[in-house]
Amino acid sequence: MLKNYFKIALRNLLKNKVYSFINISGLAIGMAATIMIGLWIADELSYDNHFENKATIAQVYESSSNNGEIDTGPAIPRPLEFALRQDYNDNFKHIVMSSWTQPRYLRFGETNIYRQGNAMQEGGPEMLSLEIVEGIRDGLKEKNAIMLSKSSAKALFGSETAIGKIVKVNNQDDLIVSGVYKDIPENNTFNDTDYLIPWKYYITTQPWLERAKTSWGNNSFQMFVQINENTTMEAITAKIIDVKKNASPEEAEFNPQVFLFPMKDWYLRGDFENGVQSGGRIENVWLFGIIGLFVLLLACINFVNLSTARSEKRATEVGIRKSIGSQRGQLIFQFLSESFLIVILSFVVALGIVLLFLNGFNNLASKSIVFPWANFMFWIVSLIFIVITSFLAGSYPALYLSSFNPVTVLKGTFKAGRYSSLPRKILVVTQFTVSIALIIGTLVVMNQIQHSKDRPVGYDKEGLIQIPVMSSQFVGKHETMRNQFIASGGVVKMTAMSSPITNVWSNRSGYTWEGKPVGFQEDLAHTTVNYDFVETLGLKIIEGRGFSREFATDSNAVILNETAVKYMNLTNPIGKLIKDSDVDDPNPEPPLKIIGVVEDMVIQSPYSPVKQAMYVFEKYGNIAFYNLRLNPEKGTSENLELIESTFKKNFPNTPFDFQFVDEEYGRKFRSEERIASLAKVFTGLAIFISCLGLFGLAAFVAEQRTKEIGVRKILGASVSQLWMILSKDFITLVIISLLIASPIAYYIMSQWLQKFSYRTDISWGVFLIASSGALIITLITVSFQSVKAATSNPVDSLRTE
Amino acid sequence: MANKLLSLNEATKTVNSGSNKVTLLDNIDLQVTEGEFISLMGPSGSGKSTLLNCIGMLDSFTGGGYTFLGEPVHSMKEKNRSKLYKEYIGFVFQAYHLIDELNVWENIETPLLYKNVKSSERKALVADMLDRFNIVGKKDLFPIQLSGGQQQLVGIARALVGKPKLILADEPTGNLNSKQSTEIMELFSKLNKEGVTIIQATHSEDNASYGSRIVNLLDGKIVS
Repeated sequence: MLKNYFKIALRNLLKNKVYSFINISGLAIGMAATIMIGLWIADELSYDNHFENKATIAQVYESSSNNGEIDTGPAIPRPLEFALRQDYNDNFKHIVMSSWTQPRYLRFGETNIYRQGNAMQEGGPEMLSLEIVEGIRDGLKEKNAIMLSKSSAKALFGSETAIGKIVKVNNQDDLIVSGVYKDIPENNTFNDTDYLIPWKYYITTQPWLERAKTSWGNNSFQMFVQINENTTMEAITAKIIDVKKNASPEEAEFNPQVFLFPMKDWYLRGDFENGVQSGGRIENVWLFGIIGLFVLLLACINFVNLSTARSEKRATEVGIRKSIGSQRGQLIFQFLSESFLIVILSFVVALGIVLLFLNGFNNLASKSIVFPWANFMFWIVSLIFIVITSFLAGSYPALYLSSFNPVTVLKGTFKAGRYSSLPRKILVVTQFTVSIALIIGTLVVMNQIQHSKDRPVGYDKEGLIQIPVMSSQFVGKHETMRNQFIASGGVVKMTAMSSPITNVWSNRSGYTWEGKPVGFQEDLAHTTVNYDFVETLGLKIIEGRGFSREFATDSNAVILNETAVKYMNLTNPIGKLIKDSDVDDPNPEPPLKIIGVVEDMVIQSPYSPVKQAMYVFEKYGNIAFYNLRLNPEKGTSENLELIESTFKKNFPNTPFDFQFVDEEYGRKFRSEERIASLAKVFTGLAIFISCLGLFGLAAFVAEQRTKEIGVRKILGASVSQLWMILSKDFITLVIISLLIASPIAYYIMSQWLQKFSYRTDISWGVFLIASSGALIITLITVSFQSVKAATSNPVDSLRTE
Repeated sequence: MANKLLSLNEATKTVNSGSNKVTLLDNIDLQVTEGEFISLMGPSGSGKSTLLNCIGMLDSFTGGGYTFLGEPVHSMKEKNRSKLYKEYIGFVFQAYHLIDELNVWENIETPLLYKNVKSSERKALVADMLDRFNIVGKKDLFPIQLSGGQQQLVGIARALVGKPKLILADEPTGNLNSKQSTEIMELFSKLNKEGVTIIQATHSEDNASYGSRIVNLLDGKIVS
């Protein structure tokens, strides 16, 4: 019986090639999109799955309150470690203090590499279940040890054994390789951890690290823990939440709350809003999951519409089958098995499409998804997916077609009733509503990105590079380097800073100044900078001046941004003093004198208001970057060659690394741009699928109305009148879709824009573009058929009756 | 001794057309015994086709009684009714109504599929039919490749393959030329002699003369 059904289905497919093509290609594209989104979602959800102890690992986070605003983050102070070890140690399997991930120079003989890595306590490698390829897992016990990822070991030693070799770190200290671990795969936290050095060693590298041992206020570290099996994160959080508050009376006013943030939430639910966990990437997972389903739904709608539209052709077969003994259930089964067959064919095509475009998709989504050929679950899920799609696409046509009365259809007088096209119209409206909403959404996302890109950044980011100089070999060298760089001719100006231009690495509080409101808890972005800061970056001075070699007192000077002046409630800021408020400090910082106010520069998120910032003159050698203004008279590559050779002359053992500031700034748009480009692709697909369906429907309608067109033509209708008549119905449907889609899209996109405080308005233009776009696409699609029908010879069309 | 195959007692069929009630069949009384060959005659619209459809259970009477092989069809559920006609009734149509996408062999096989006949048995039965109607050579052709007479032969083969007791034929020769018509009528006559009961609707006196009894219909009533 099934064989008979499949035979009929196949012969029908071959007989109606256009319909088959529309059905299969539409479904295949829809399924391919859904499969890709499915793979992407699976990849997102499996983030950090590499770690065996995922369920029990957490990072310790701290929330603190500033002027009623609660900030949450992973930065914690050193004394927290001692407090947890002393009083709560039995809750944890591991407590691991860690530095931030930082790049360091690693040298072996002549080979010099620059890699990201962390300093960690002994338990780290075991907690992260690092797979050891050489040496031991417990490799951070000795103070002078270093563990390397397989790829960095290979880069340093080639095929030679790594264990026991001595690596020079930052051209400074010798560490002995104790273990080599397999690189941590891409979709995991710590994937860029190419080396691990012992915490014991790290805290001796700079004096402030030692001082931080007792300072509850110095949130400059990270802590990872693995909890014991017999307890829960919540239970431990409940115990430790007030540890810091109770231990440090000075910090208590900020109401610090310490809690465990489980590894399973790190990647997908890492956003906090005013102290409350508020989603994160999981929102994109939902967003694209929904888009994927919509695209599939659109393809299924095509199938439904085309099958029911063609019902008159299948009606006779239904009648015959019923008259020779078929029951309705058997017919339903027949039509369902037909759609099953089509869906399977489409699935095969879809797999081909996925394989073809997986690379492109990976680039677009910055993923490295591999097609899961050998994954049993994938095939199970695919099977379920095929069955569900078959039902989605096939059940309505099956019910509809199987309901025909054999007497009427066999008599040949069968005409679908007046309202039989209503469900089809509703489905077309659904398709176009989704497509138009997607067009509007994509346009708004693109507008928002463009709007933020057009935002004035307050400095001149073109022709500016930064060179990271974080190791101690650079300390105190920047004046010499400046002179040499400028002498080389590749650079016109240079300054040095303690943070990259595109980020804030330090925030400070604990100041007093004239006019400070009582009880005000300040939080200022703190960056130390050097001479020519204003000139190199091209900042605009509003009041006062920049740092100058002519004033010896500038070593205790500070420049504020406009926002800081308002934030600190300063009037006539120039000449005012900002003092360290810690009266007990035995070595108080000298007061800082405000010498200038600059226009705000966008440093952090281009979507947020600029943070209040102070730029303090650098006097302790705390420099992380050189900032160089390239010589505009020369080409970029020539400038870079000059800079590199100057750099190499001074630091022959250090690889030359640099970033273009405008590129670094551009990175801030990456995640939104990724959303935009994915949205563009899926919107395109949705439109394409909808048009495919419309094309098929238009063909059907033109065919159905052949006789009417013939009669009208004989009565004198012109081609354009006929074209109007045939296109009108579809245009009406698209206009209805527009009316439904616009408010829905407006609502959803206004919600989305709320995420950004620097945001664009949803202008009328967006709706205008979406509307005219949809109408034009519809007209073109429909016209293929209507023009053909309108220009056909009425004699031919009337003779067919 | 011939058994009674079916009987109609004051069977009536009305439909609503707009606000009017139209009577298509009016108090039909008809007894059919096994082995009869009945010709329904009457002008267009007299109710021949409707009567055939109702007897064939594709349609149902709206009043009166209908008994088939002793079972009351009028009070039967759809499912049992379908079982009954699947088992005992075969249809032959004026427009042949073969399934275009199936070849001759498959068209004849289809009713057997619905009767859940085993594959080996199906092959035997279909081969038998092809043989009997001398169309073995055409078994792989599709309906569109056959002449009208050949299509009707296949239609009859399809109706007969399930070994029905009753064949209902609605103008079986309406689309055929006179030579083909004669062949088909002779075939019917032969089948009737082999024991198949036949009810045909026809306009043609010639065709009607092949039957054992003529029933004349006019405006939904039996007039003679």
